[in-house]
Amino acid sequence: MKNKIIVMLSLGGLFILLILAGLPSPASAHHSPACLITRAKDSPKLPSPTSAQAPEEKLFEIKARNFVFTPNVIQVNQGDLVRIRLISEDVHHGLYLDGYEIQTSALPGQEGTLTFVANKTGRFTFRCSVTCGEFHPYMVGYLVVEPNSPFFIYVFLTIALALANLAFVVLRRS
Amino acid sequence: MSEDKLFGLIDLNFRFELTKFKLVRALCKSRWLPLLLILFNLFIFVIILLAGLFGGYSAGNYNFGIMMVWILWWVLLILMLVPGFARMWCLMCPFPIFSDWAQRGKLFEVRQGKLGGLNLKWPKRLSSMWVLNLAFLATTFFSGFFTVRPFATFILLGIIILVAFLTGLVFQKRTFCLYLCPVSGFQGLYSQFATAEVRRKDPEICKKHTPKTCFVGNEKGYGCPWLRTPFDFAKNTYCGLCLECFKTCPHDNMALNLRPPGVDLLVDTKREPRGLDEAYKAFIMLGIAIVFYLAFQGPWGVIKDMVRATTLEGYLGYITFHTVFNLLIIPGIFFLFAYLSKLFSGNKEVPLKKIFTNFSYTLVPLGLGVWIGFSLGIILPNGSYLLHILSDPFAWGWNLFGTAHFPWTPVLTHLLGYLQGATLIVFYLFSIAYGFRSSRQTYPDLPQARRGWIPMLGLLTLITTAFLWLFMG
Amino acid sequence: MSRKEIIAVILFILATVITIAGVVGVEAYRRRELYTVELTARAPEHGNWYPQEITVPLGEEVRILIRNIDTVSHGFALPDFEVAVPEIKAGQVAVVQFVANKSGTFPFLCTVWCAGRHMEMRGELIVE
Ligand code: SF4
Ligand code: SF4
Ligand SMILES: [Cu+2]
Ligand SMILES: [Cu+2]
Repeated sequence: MKNKIIVMLSLGGLFILLILAGLPSPASAHHSPACLITRAKDSPKLPSPTSAQAPEEKLFEIKARNFVFTPNVIQVNQGDLVRIRLISEDVHHGLYLDGYEIQTSALPGQEGTLTFVANKTGRFTFRCSVTCGEFHPYMVGYLVVEPNSPFFIYVFLTIALALANLAFVVLRRS
Repeated sequence: MSEDKLFGLIDLNFRFELTKFKLVRALCKSRWLPLLLILFNLFIFVIILLAGLFGGYSAGNYNFGIMMVWILWWVLLILMLVPGFARMWCLMCPFPIFSDWAQRGKLFEVRQGKLGGLNLKWPKRLSSMWVLNLAFLATTFFSGFFTVRPFATFILLGIIILVAFLTGLVFQKRTFCLYLCPVSGFQGLYSQFATAEVRRKDPEICKKHTPKTCFVGNEKGYGCPWLRTPFDFAKNTYCGLCLECFKTCPHDNMALNLRPPGVDLLVDTKREPRGLDEAYKAFIMLGIAIVFYLAFQGPWGVIKDMVRATTLEGYLGYITFHTVFNLLIIPGIFFLFAYLSKLFSGNKEVPLKKIFTNFSYTLVPLGLGVWIGFSLGIILPNGSYLLHILSDPFAWGWNLFGTAHFPWTPVLTHLLGYLQGATLIVFYLFSIAYGFRSSRQTYPDLPQARRGWIPMLGLLTLITTAFLWLFMG
Repeated sequence: MSRKEIIAVILFILATVITIAGVVGVEAYRRRELYTVELTARAPEHGNWYPQEITVPLGEEVRILIRNIDTVSHGFALPDFEVAVPEIKAGQVAVVQFVANKSGTFPFLCTVWCAGRHMEMRGELIVE
């Protein structure tokens, strides 16, 4: 009896975990205050297979300073047309975007720009690509393209494995 | 538990003996084997030290010392050497060669009789991983300098080599490696997970053989420099893989085995008990991984400014937080779950300390997975610097292999998150597989072990989810 | 000592003393053969150009080795002789070459926005 209650309790706990995992991740909880312009794009033909929202055009002004990008996390939806203006506040900095493999760089008073369609979902790191000081290799920011399905799939997988282990442990005889 | 199978697939007692091949056995018995590798690494580290010295203040990403140590060496250790071959690095480590030479008076030959130096015994009370834990934690205070300033790396390596030498003069054999080396602790801990081991083959032969030449040494080699008893030890933690026991065993009774990963995690004998010191090593490694990820692969400039000491207050804040987080918060959370485990199990007799220590070993596979994930985040974006520094090691405008102008090129970084996540989940699987076994060892009967396991399973799942969020969310 | 022991000791010496001597020796020789002066580039906050004054003889071919030992990129320009290197990355080395065919004092400067006091990153070439 006691046994069953405990099993039920823990299943409940894991279920709550599951739901928590379903909430938007903190990186995207605030709807990117850094996004300057958001407007529906004129051409509705851009692909948007999973997200319900129509693709938009988003402009971000990213300021680079030793050794941080501001904003450091930017969030868009799949299919959005993203434009980035890179503005340097001190020395020569760059911005290389993982996954999309594009880059730009900016000197003080001379900004760099990037334009791309966010067609891959997930979280991508953007890195400074110009040696700007000793912490240069650690100068990074995140681009989150919603829905961040890879993350959720991995979390669900983990929880499924936990449940499988639980089932195995409970059903085990000897 | 003779038929205990990992994931129902691999028998935990399965061993594949590599030394059954003549060539491998001959290599293990040759006195050239560790020596040549050690001399080669000595050569590499001499260049690293030179580059660190000449590099001084300049940017680490074009410095041979920084790149070799923190990109190549560290990543090789975590990605391959430790999980695959236990303390394979200690086999070829050049740091203690000066003290070895001083003690033995010979590089190649075997000295008969007493070793040189004072040969003192390390105090019993310090014979644990505690000093290693604190030494490693203290080293990480300065990681904002070591990993980016060539001269800081020079100082760090210089101190390690110097202390290794001095310790060797005063204390016996490899006391430094056992109780002081900052690189030793995590290698020892995670070696318990490794897929290779050195063990005796047939215990019966060992029983009959006196004197135990593998411990006292003979004309073919030295008694175990790591103060193990090769004839019966059962845990990789402190075996330096130095291969001396292959040379000193007259019956060819030592074996180099491949084995299922992680079997040492279940070892808890009188001679090699589980201990709070190793538990804390597991916590510290996990905690450092979190802090490092936040500081070095996260986008938060505030943390970076603290770690690189732009202001003294910030730096002290980092040190304080780092210490408290690793020594109190993480163990505290773990303690809470250990307590829950005891409550759930309904067992009043088992001491809480035993539950706490036993379960802490479940963090070993997971911790290793986390570090592998973190290291992937170092090597994939920055590995291309290696081509540059190989051609121009001292930043003097050399171009030895014609690759000095190879541009910075991130490799496979579009897969980085997936790789990190997948590694984590694989190692999580090992953690929960061994976790339930630890539970069985902790509680006397199956129902208690079952119930006691549940909170721990929850905790491990939580930790994994948290890291998935760090890596991908 | 047996022969093997001697070989081991020789290898040890090769790996340490000989390696150090070799590296330092080769570099010293290379510089003597190839370059007239060596110039170190650092942001003004960290030491500026070193040396800040270079003296070369009139009419000679001059080769300058510019070594950026800083953590940021710098540039180099010597307008009067029309030589420039747009970017020297941190930890990298550039070489410029020209004939010192007029005498006088000529400024050289950094051309990359490298630090707050970038504008002060200047030096002088004296031809006599
Ligand atoms: S313990 Fe440290 S010094 Fe000793 S062999 Fe291993 S890495 Fe080298
Ligand atoms: S048991 Fe001792 S002698 Fe044998 S390999 Fe390990 S450290 Fe060396
Ligand atoms: Cu930068
Ligand atoms: Cu400059």
